[in-house]
Amino acid sequence: MEIRPIFSALMRSKVSMVLIGLQVALTLAIVCNALFIISQRLEQMNRPSGMNEADTFTFGSTGFGQGFDAFATQAADLALLRQMPGVAAAAPTNSMPLSGGGWSTGVSLQPQQKTPTTSTTIYIVDSHAIDAFDTQLVAGRAFKPEEIERKDFGDRLQPRVVIVSKALGDALFPNGDALGKEVYLGEGPPTATIVGVVDRLQQPWTNSDTIENAMLVPAFMPYGTSTRYLVRTEPGRRDEVMKEVEVKLAEANTGRIIGRMRSMEETRRNAYSQDRAMAIILGVVIVALLGITALGIVGMASFWVAQRTRQIGTRRALGATKADILRYFQTENFIITTFGLVLGAILAYGFSLWLMDRYQSPRLPWHYVPIGFLCLWALGQLAVLGPALRASRVPPAVATRAV
Amino acid sequence: MLKMTHLQKVYRTHLIETHALRDFSIHVREGEFVAVTGPSGSGKTTFLNIAGLLEEFTGGEFRLDGVDVAGLDDNARSKLRNEKIGFIFQSFNLIPDLNLFDNVDVPLRYRGFAAADRKKRIEESLSRVGLASRMKHYPSELSGGQQQRVAIARALAGSPRLLMADEPTGNLDSLMARGVMELLEEVNRQGTTIIMVTHDPELAARAQRNVHVIDGQVTDFEEAPKLRDPGAPARGAEAVAANG
Repeated sequence: MEIRPIFSALMRSKVSMVLIGLQVALTLAIVCNALFIISQRLEQMNRPSGMNEADTFTFGSTGFGQGFDAFATQAADLALLRQMPGVAAAAPTNSMPLSGGGWSTGVSLQPQQKTPTTSTTIYIVDSHAIDAFDTQLVAGRAFKPEEIERKDFGDRLQPRVVIVSKALGDALFPNGDALGKEVYLGEGPPTATIVGVVDRLQQPWTNSDTIENAMLVPAFMPYGTSTRYLVRTEPGRRDEVMKEVEVKLAEANTGRIIGRMRSMEETRRNAYSQDRAMAIILGVVIVALLGITALGIVGMASFWVAQRTRQIGTRRALGATKADILRYFQTENFIITTFGLVLGAILAYGFSLWLMDRYQSPRLPWHYVPIGFLCLWALGQLAVLGPALRASRVPPAVATRAV
Repeated sequence: MLKMTHLQKVYRTHLIETHALRDFSIHVREGEFVAVTGPSGSGKTTFLNIAGLLEEFTGGEFRLDGVDVAGLDDNARSKLRNEKIGFIFQSFNLIPDLNLFDNVDVPLRYRGFAAADRKKRIEESLSRVGLASRMKHYPSELSGGQQQRVAIARALAGSPRLLMADEPTGNLDSLMARGVMELLEEVNRQGTTIIMVTHDPELAARAQRNVHVIDGQVTDFEEAPKLRDPGAPARGAEAVAANG
């Protein structure tokens, strides 16, 4: 290998080497961190909410006019929904995973505990909730109809029983024995007994630190004159049932407005729209950066081939084969790229530390940089291939041509 | 050493054919110093390119050190060129970004010599041209004459059987030209065959034998070699111009 003389020659024209090296370095640093951010976003976006998203939809009902009876309307609506063809389950709920808005409270293990043990979201539901969410009960039982308390909006929730997500149960009782234990909600006594544990149910907020902590609280509690319903349909019938429900409920009670029907898939799309946009933008940045870097290498190599035509001819005259010339330019590119990549590795980790410090983002996993190394090496070799092949086709007779 | 018989070189475009060499025959024996002269455009450089395996020919026969080069592929020609021929160019053709050591090293690396062998050869050949002390210098730090000496060192480092010199003093002043010619004569005395293309009659006169080329044909040649050095080994020479 001709590494030493090529390196020596490069040292005589440092500017080009440094410029392309810096470009490669910045590309590696940015691409590694951008890819990591994209992977984090994709990971977040792909987290399961714990509920059946394919067959569920939600909508609100808001009454108007004097004498509107929210409790009666809710009961009538639920009765109507549950007997409609295609509806597998329906339940009232104040919120749902991914919706972006809901209630939360601290949960303590002791009365008057100064700092709650953890926090959770509260889904105010009835005895059909587990069926409507289609979440898996891993311990205990669902709510009984008699456990559903009627509450006016603004009343303090004092449930005697609750169902928790497994993550919340484990956060409260790390030994995994949450079932049957008593907890304190918010301001303290009385206690609520955990009667059921569901495998998973996320909070409405996608960026919450305790996103997996959720609690089902049994209550009929309309939000003033508004109620939100969660409907699960038989598989494959969601869109059809959504239209039907909108018509039937509007007809059933003209003293209220039925809000827009929103599938959980749409809710998920909305919940992660910013993350998706971020991933797309970063993806475009990565592609653009790699493209610019590749073009930079192509440009530099093409310039060098044109500049060194006589030198290439001389090398050929002195015995270099076409393969030797090809190898020369590939080795030269390898050296420049390696120089850039070493610098880029330092920059990549430095950039990651800055992101950690500034935005509390996780540390860049170590394997991103070596993978980036390999990709940029390959990109460099690919980019230089065209000019190098052109160089290899320079005839040796060029050496004797007049300047 | 080198024998061309009825050699043809035709450059073709879709409109015209240019006969750069026609029915060109020459025989250079080992140890000779032959000057190839002729006016511009006569075919001297085409002859040099073909003789140096830098270019292919379109007809006739060419044997280099007994090897019929007509059927050789590009790799085989490169290998033969590297092993048998040393080149000296009018513009020196040193690589400006390499120091003298690395410049002389270029053909040796392609030859595949081991590092220690290369180092020894480089040091010896630079010593031979009087530039051993400037190995780490770059071509731009040398005079034209010194650069051509480096080019001669590069050409000699691989111990070639044949040295092809293309107007070796064309870019030098008379003093430097004389020095380079003396060096070439010294190299020839030590047994290396030299073919020198030049348009300078004075330089040509210093060769053992002159071959004059006009319009791609050998028009004149000297039958017997001039012996410069009575003590030098006997050298045969024969130039055949089929059409001369």
